[in-house]
Amino acid sequence: MSHSASCLVRAESLRILAGNRSQLEPLKGTEVVVLGGTGFLGTWILELLMALNDEFGFGIRSLVVSRSTDQFVSRFPHIAKRDDIRFEKCDVRQLWQLPMDADWVIHAAATPDTRVHASKPLEVASVVAEGAMSIVRAAERMSRLRMLMFLSSGLVAAHDKESDKNIDEMASMAPPPESSFMYAGAKRFAETVFSAARSQCRIPTVVVRPFSLLGPYQPLDRPFAHTSFIADGLKGDAIRVQGDGSTIRSYMYGADAAFWMLRMMVGGKSGDVFNVGSDEAIDLRTMALKVAAGFQSRPEVLFNTGIRSVRTDRLVPSIAKAQDRLKLSPMTPLDMAISKTIEWNRLMKASV
Amino acid sequence: MKQNSILISDPSLRDGNHAIGHQLSKEQIAAYCRAADAAKVPIVEVGHGNGVGASSLQLGEAKTSDFVALTTARENLKTSKLGIHLIPGFATVEKDLRPALEIGVDVVRVAAHCTEADLCERHIDFARSKGANVWGVLMMSHMVTSIDLLEQARKMESYGAQGFVFMDSAGHYLPDDVSERVKVLTEGLTIPIGFHAHNNLGMAIANSIAAVKEGATLLDGCARGFGAGAGNAQIEVLVAVLERLGYSTGIDLYKLLDASDLAERELMKEIPTIKSTSIVSGLAGVFSGFMKPVDRISKQFGVDPRDVFFELGRRKIIAGQEDIILEVAKELSGQPRV
Amino acid sequence: MGVFGLWGTMKQVKLKIGILGSGNIGTDLLVKVQRSPLLECTVFVGRSLTSSGMAKAQALGVRVSSDSISFFEKNADTVDLVFDATSAKDHKLHAPIFKRLGIRAVDLTPAKLGLMCVPSVNLSECLNETNVNMVTCGGQASIPIAHAIGKTHKDVDYIEVVSSIASRSAGPATRQNLDEYIATTEEGLRYFSGAKRTKAILNLNPAQPCIDMQATVFAKVADGTVPDIDKLKPILTEIVSRVRQYVPGYEVILGPIVENGRIVVMVRVKGLGDYLPAYAGNLDIINCAAVAMAEEYAKQRLELKTYSLEGRS
Repeated sequence: MSHSASCLVRAESLRILAGNRSQLEPLKGTEVVVLGGTGFLGTWILELLMALNDEFGFGIRSLVVSRSTDQFVSRFPHIAKRDDIRFEKCDVRQLWQLPMDADWVIHAAATPDTRVHASKPLEVASVVAEGAMSIVRAAERMSRLRMLMFLSSGLVAAHDKESDKNIDEMASMAPPPESSFMYAGAKRFAETVFSAARSQCRIPTVVVRPFSLLGPYQPLDRPFAHTSFIADGLKGDAIRVQGDGSTIRSYMYGADAAFWMLRMMVGGKSGDVFNVGSDEAIDLRTMALKVAAGFQSRPEVLFNTGIRSVRTDRLVPSIAKAQDRLKLSPMTPLDMAISKTIEWNRLMKASV
Repeated sequence: MKQNSILISDPSLRDGNHAIGHQLSKEQIAAYCRAADAAKVPIVEVGHGNGVGASSLQLGEAKTSDFVALTTARENLKTSKLGIHLIPGFATVEKDLRPALEIGVDVVRVAAHCTEADLCERHIDFARSKGANVWGVLMMSHMVTSIDLLEQARKMESYGAQGFVFMDSAGHYLPDDVSERVKVLTEGLTIPIGFHAHNNLGMAIANSIAAVKEGATLLDGCARGFGAGAGNAQIEVLVAVLERLGYSTGIDLYKLLDASDLAERELMKEIPTIKSTSIVSGLAGVFSGFMKPVDRISKQFGVDPRDVFFELGRRKIIAGQEDIILEVAKELSGQPRV
Repeated sequence: MGVFGLWGTMKQVKLKIGILGSGNIGTDLLVKVQRSPLLECTVFVGRSLTSSGMAKAQALGVRVSSDSISFFEKNADTVDLVFDATSAKDHKLHAPIFKRLGIRAVDLTPAKLGLMCVPSVNLSECLNETNVNMVTCGGQASIPIAHAIGKTHKDVDYIEVVSSIASRSAGPATRQNLDEYIATTEEGLRYFSGAKRTKAILNLNPAQPCIDMQATVFAKVADGTVPDIDKLKPILTEIVSRVRQYVPGYEVILGPIVENGRIVVMVRVKGLGDYLPAYAGNLDIINCAAVAMAEEYAKQRLELKTYSLEGRS
């Protein structure tokens, strides 16, 4: 990763922490385990922890457990070569021991890649469900654990697609028992596992459900609409929208999401479930135009109106709980999030 | 059960024992049982302050053994049901529950700290299998969220509890706290919900009424509030207020007033009042049994015991963690930590 | 025989240990056994190969099996002694099988089939037994004290033990078997102290951070007699130092004192933090006691061997 790209990320971290860092005070001098710490959210969490250590002397020690540490270490040496972060290569399913004295465990290991969900649903079931079980077994033997945070998904509560209501944490309709809903179903099952861990083993647990996110570190090769818009733009191509662009989402910046989650972990109560995302609903058409506006070349936006869905697909969280309980609000406006994401990817591309 | 009928349980002869070092005598038990029975109090709970099997050097030895207390009560209760409080860890099925049921106990209230409902499975199961009416009880309930309280209560329901009571053991709740919990509990459980109040903040009656308004149908009340610390909801006031609100209890108010006069005369050394320390421990949500060690240690370190209580409350200290009092007092006094 | 010779002999005669039950207790025992110079775990047996205990055993290079009791029926010569860390119900089935196979059993369940064993009190008595029971965690912590009180007072009327453990250290089995815990601890207290009446109380404390295990022993001597603290003190000190040999985190934090005419002693047990967290002193103490017992068997065998070798020469 280029120096300028890491400078951008640090500046972003500091912007997010400005005036807010006292909310993360409980992290001072503690040990954090980040399972799946090499993914998009895991990396943002590490970035914030690094900034807290470097700029504010928080003295946090982190252990990153991931099955893909090798690529990560070579791609992001500014994270890999630090004294306060250790790396351990391990698949969560094989995890049978966590550091006994660690204070916090963040379980962010899973693949949100929808292609994997479609082609290898059984693999998804195994990673999410068996991973949850082995983490519980290992966490049971930790002596000082203050909170275990599970990164679930906004998809666990299936919703009425006709409805224009934002989805709150109480939404409880289960995803259909069909292969294509394996990721949502497995995440939902894992949430139940962590609830049982709280009940049977007294492990303090908080569940967070991320919705659509964007930002530096998010791989652009995934078939999410907004990431492919950015990828198209970076290639100098026209931005292609699948369908008529009526699908409705909302987007939260990765750094905002990471801050929210850390705050939820240290400030939430065991048993809490929180949505993480933006409640600013936006259709794909508008999103594509916004992304296009982020490039000086102003790429053309093409709609594939051949695919026209009858229903409007809408996935937007209610974030009232995070706002009321923890006084959280989105910090990065969407246009800024888009331009920072584009800039970071450009810097990354330049350094290759 | 009709929506507007409230089932009252009277633990004067159990919780009241806390106020007098578990010294209720056979004669006192007999006298109050007769009076409560005459007033048609539905359930009269009898025993050591911490329930059957709890007489011990640790908690105080009861003057009257469980056997004598329960047999005496049984002989003197004609229409009222006889209830016991039972905490697993102190009481066991073989030593305490089986003999109590053989004496003829009707209502068994199996109790645990608010996070530990799964200690009660065997005891609830046994009492139910013997035909007793079994309730689950969670103590110090203010220490957990309503979600956790519901989850623990669900365990008790699944073990076969036929009623569920949550206790405000530290006298910490305000009416809104109680309403919120009862709402969550009534939505999540199918069994009747009950509430047991303490009066540290003068809220025992108001909290009981808040519970009833959200759908609770079981309430505890003691004669003159005779119970631990600042006392419980005063049963004669509770019944009067419920009557004014249009709820029925089946209790004869005049005779209940007689019973509470008798209790004041015969059972208690002093009528429970809200003392300064009770206010502080209630506000801080700390177990009232910490009173003596906090006073002693605060004096030793020259700190205000009230500050110690609030710090203990902030740290969610519970019974069994008395060693933390020393640590807190030391910190407040500005002495370096050892 | 020189030092090296002795070590050589010991190596050959390390007692072969089988562990039955691959849960947290069994796995913690495994770590302790592998650290002992006198013991060697030759097989770690459970019902499923996929548990974290099994992973730990494999990481330590220990043979594993998911055949439960039938492993031992098929491979009786693999082990000299088995730690049974399953359940009381299962141990009742296992005990006659071990007896038939000539395998010594150290029972960590509350099955109470064999002689009750508290190493600091009756180690040598247990050496002739083929099945010993490790009583309960509260028993291991309090019985040495109750025994010292019984030894120094002719007529002990009543002993009461209040144990507090961290809620997180009590698994579903402990919770369901609370009554058996109490009954077994009370029986152990009676047996080892001679007190007329005993009472055991267990508190589960959900406080965070988790509390260390604590046990308070109260004793009342018979009417007309008085507590003799001066006589008790040296005996207590001696027995506590014996416990500390196998449970380093065992510590008297109060007493012996006389309060309201009764003797009070309070102990705290910090675990070694081997496989289980250090606050789980209650689980650690029973495992430490079991390992101490097995080591004593190993020494006994070593002496017999050395003796027979010398006898032949």
